[in-house]
Amino acid sequence: MSDLIALKFRLNGVGRTAAVEPQVMLADLLREQLGEIDVRVSCDQGVCGVCTVLVDGIPTTSCLTPAFLVADREVTTVKGLSGNATGLTDVQQAFIACSAFQCGYCTPGMVVSATALLAEHPSPDRQTIRDWLDANVCRCTGYQTIIEAIEMVAAQRQAQAQTTTAEAAD
Amino acid sequence: MPDTLRQNLKLSDTARQDARDKVSGEGPFAGDITLPGMLEARLLRSPHAHARIIAIDTSRAEAVEGVRLVATGRDLGLLKQTTYGNWVHDQPVICTDRVRFEGDVVAAVVAVDETTAFRAMELIHVSYQLLPPVMDIHEARSDAAPELFDQKHPNVPMKLGRDTRTANEPAKNVLFSYDFEDGDIDAVEAGAAHVFTDRFHFSRIGHFYMEPWICVAQQLTDRIELWSCNQDPFVLRQDLSELFGLPEGHFRVRTAYVGGGFGGKSYCKHEPLAVLLTMLANAPVRLLMTLDESMLTLSQHDGDLVLTTSVDAQGKLLSRRTEIDLNGGAYADASAQVCARAAYRSSGPYRWQAYHAHSRVIRTTTIPAGSYRGMGGTQASYASESQIDMIARRIGMDPIAFRRLNLIPPGEPFKDGDSKVDADFAEGLDRVVSDLRHVDVPTDGPWAHGKGFAIGLKDGGSFGRLGKATVKVTTDGRVLVLCGAIEIGQGATTVISGLVADVLKVPREWVRYAAIDTDVTPFDQGTHASCATTLTGNAVWRAAQKLRGEILELAAGELDCAAADLDLREWKVTGKGLSLDLKELVRKKFGRFGFELSADGFVQYPKEADAPFGAKHLYWMPHWVGVSLSVDRETGEIHINDLVTGVDAGHTLHPGGVRGQDEGGTLVALAQTLFEEITYNEEDELAVPTPLDYRVARASDLPDRYQSFILEQGMGPGPMGAKGVGEAGMLGVSAAVANAIEDATGVRLTSLPFTPEKVLAALDAAAE
Repeated sequence: MSDLIALKFRLNGVGRTAAVEPQVMLADLLREQLGEIDVRVSCDQGVCGVCTVLVDGIPTTSCLTPAFLVADREVTTVKGLSGNATGLTDVQQAFIACSAFQCGYCTPGMVVSATALLAEHPSPDRQTIRDWLDANVCRCTGYQTIIEAIEMVAAQRQAQAQTTTAEAAD
Repeated sequence: MPDTLRQNLKLSDTARQDARDKVSGEGPFAGDITLPGMLEARLLRSPHAHARIIAIDTSRAEAVEGVRLVATGRDLGLLKQTTYGNWVHDQPVICTDRVRFEGDVVAAVVAVDETTAFRAMELIHVSYQLLPPVMDIHEARSDAAPELFDQKHPNVPMKLGRDTRTANEPAKNVLFSYDFEDGDIDAVEAGAAHVFTDRFHFSRIGHFYMEPWICVAQQLTDRIELWSCNQDPFVLRQDLSELFGLPEGHFRVRTAYVGGGFGGKSYCKHEPLAVLLTMLANAPVRLLMTLDESMLTLSQHDGDLVLTTSVDAQGKLLSRRTEIDLNGGAYADASAQVCARAAYRSSGPYRWQAYHAHSRVIRTTTIPAGSYRGMGGTQASYASESQIDMIARRIGMDPIAFRRLNLIPPGEPFKDGDSKVDADFAEGLDRVVSDLRHVDVPTDGPWAHGKGFAIGLKDGGSFGRLGKATVKVTTDGRVLVLCGAIEIGQGATTVISGLVADVLKVPREWVRYAAIDTDVTPFDQGTHASCATTLTGNAVWRAAQKLRGEILELAAGELDCAAADLDLREWKVTGKGLSLDLKELVRKKFGRFGFELSADGFVQYPKEADAPFGAKHLYWMPHWVGVSLSVDRETGEIHINDLVTGVDAGHTLHPGGVRGQDEGGTLVALAQTLFEEITYNEEDELAVPTPLDYRVARASDLPDRYQSFILEQGMGPGPMGAKGVGEAGMLGVSAAVANAIEDATGVRLTSLPFTPEKVLAALDAAAE
């Protein structure tokens, strides 16, 4: 078949190397070759958002992204968001507090998208949240609890920031 | 941790049992299972709706490096029976002579990897002789339509209860028929002030569960092991046993988390093919479908419903005749159950002097239809609650007052011989009416505004269902609960673990929900009909209570006092000034190496010939809906201004779970009402073959304002009065929207979905 492309990239903060055929997609590299089962695949056509990961911080549908494109880039899956093996981010904790998932299959992609949204818009209004979430399909929840989880994180972070500012002022 | 102990369970502030597994992406789901030497299987599907298979040339595909085998209808020698299905066994494991829908399976490739399998698949050449397609139920019943099967199939008669007849394959292209005749309807109609007949068309949607359908199978030395996304592992085991002519115990079915199903992962699907492929390849095989293929595996039933309803001069409902034809698609699957239930449920939450229902499943050359969240109750509620509103308007009554006048009160049997209604329908109706907010919208311009209400209704299943569970506690006081309720997103593991923690008075973190494995899990008839809480929950509750009682008895023996004087909390037995630790107790009784104390629980709802369905229905699941909307008279667009929905949880065991069931189902139903639909084009090809074409609800489709509520009417048969809510969200939405559109425009829509084109056409027709 075709020649393999060798690439180096960072995956969840750790340097990795891989050799892939040009048609191999990032999702397959992560799941099948590197065993990152937290990257899940559903539509395989870039419309459902289940396979969303961050590439240099930008939410990316890994099922439609050729793997060789992540050479020298930073890839973050849901597992890498918290920066440690056992912890959960505030976004993940809010998903738990709001019961913002049911079957859990779309949840990794949903958490990744929500994380990117909050990085871009620290205090998103409802319309912004809906616009961003349109990239991710959830067939279980009806989305309302997911939106509430995102709003909860935004409010918590804002309250924390105010506390920090107040402390600094003291 | 005394704050996590609750006398009267309510897990309002507790996380779901599966929370960490899911938000961290760890799973596992069946697709995460990788076995050494595992091969990948992919399916070649028919591009035609109806055709005869003349020849299949697999030689070029077989010659591809990395291809282990190509299986076709010639390779069914290992099977004792080659077709399966519920009640009527008509679906071939792999097509032999004919294909009956676009997507029917004609060949399977097993290869070292997915890419090789796909490449080989393109090299299979199938010669078809095209046959006339039969795309809808009217065509299928016409004289010109071809018979879709040459002969009748092995089948199991569906035996129900009083005044009921059913038949398998009774006529040309008819899969199943159901007739229920309760009361002298001619006499009742003769005395009525009004008799109204109305026809409704129900559309069909796909399940679109996010975890595509998957089965991993491996041949061990003397048995088969499966990892499956199926929600009915024991039913599947039984089907595999019958198909292969091997004992049930030959098959070990294991189930991980299931990534959504909504009915689409119930009963046998392509697991027999996965098993056949692993036997032929003598290696582990993964059969993983794409989401497109998952959509071809099963759908909801579209159909026509004709209701003839009589009413007296004071607005009392007297009688109803229901005639339903459902599109069963190419193969039986669970169509017969949907058909019977749609007919029975079309009487809605009302009292009748006479009720007759006749329903049929018609075969067509389209995607097989089967279980879909709502299970006939969605079709029934849509037609029934639409017509109730239409009749109220025709006789000059307020639709809410008309409903109130006719509702079955709590405690009265749904029908003679059936269970008593365990919901207060009027309370929920009052709540949606009062909660639906006035929306300040402009009254000029093209917008017409209206409000609509509905009470969707379905029962929680019957057929003499049962639940079974084992609860055991290790020497160090950790609990393992074993039962067959599959975690498919509904929160079964949370509710069931919570019940056990509540009875045994231990923190919920001490309770683990055992993995599902037909070798060790107590038998279960399937995670169906929103019954995990009611059926399995009761069995688990009993097991936990029995275990608690046994521990107290044991302690009483050791302490030489009466069990009634003792209390058990966090594994400390106390009372009469005495205290004993569970570990001490176990060691004292069973020695240094410990013991596992355990108890079983079992519930079964009896069969009763006097009940119309042959057993009383477990409980009643209403869905109250109120909607305020605006219709753009120029474009036909519908804008939902406010939506209120509610369910009766009986007693809420997990508020987040209950709310999620209602809201999630409601949004799917709203999508079906406004735009989502499986359609075929004029060339009889699937018009929405991929997730790119098929539109489901996204976050932007959520109405601007949507409030759901939970009533706890306390009459459910589950633990502490709980009952299921899993399918409720599907039930009331379509009718409420149709009723609101009529309220706004004076025009009645009777054919789902209510697209702008249909709204405009109806407005134009009314203007002429």
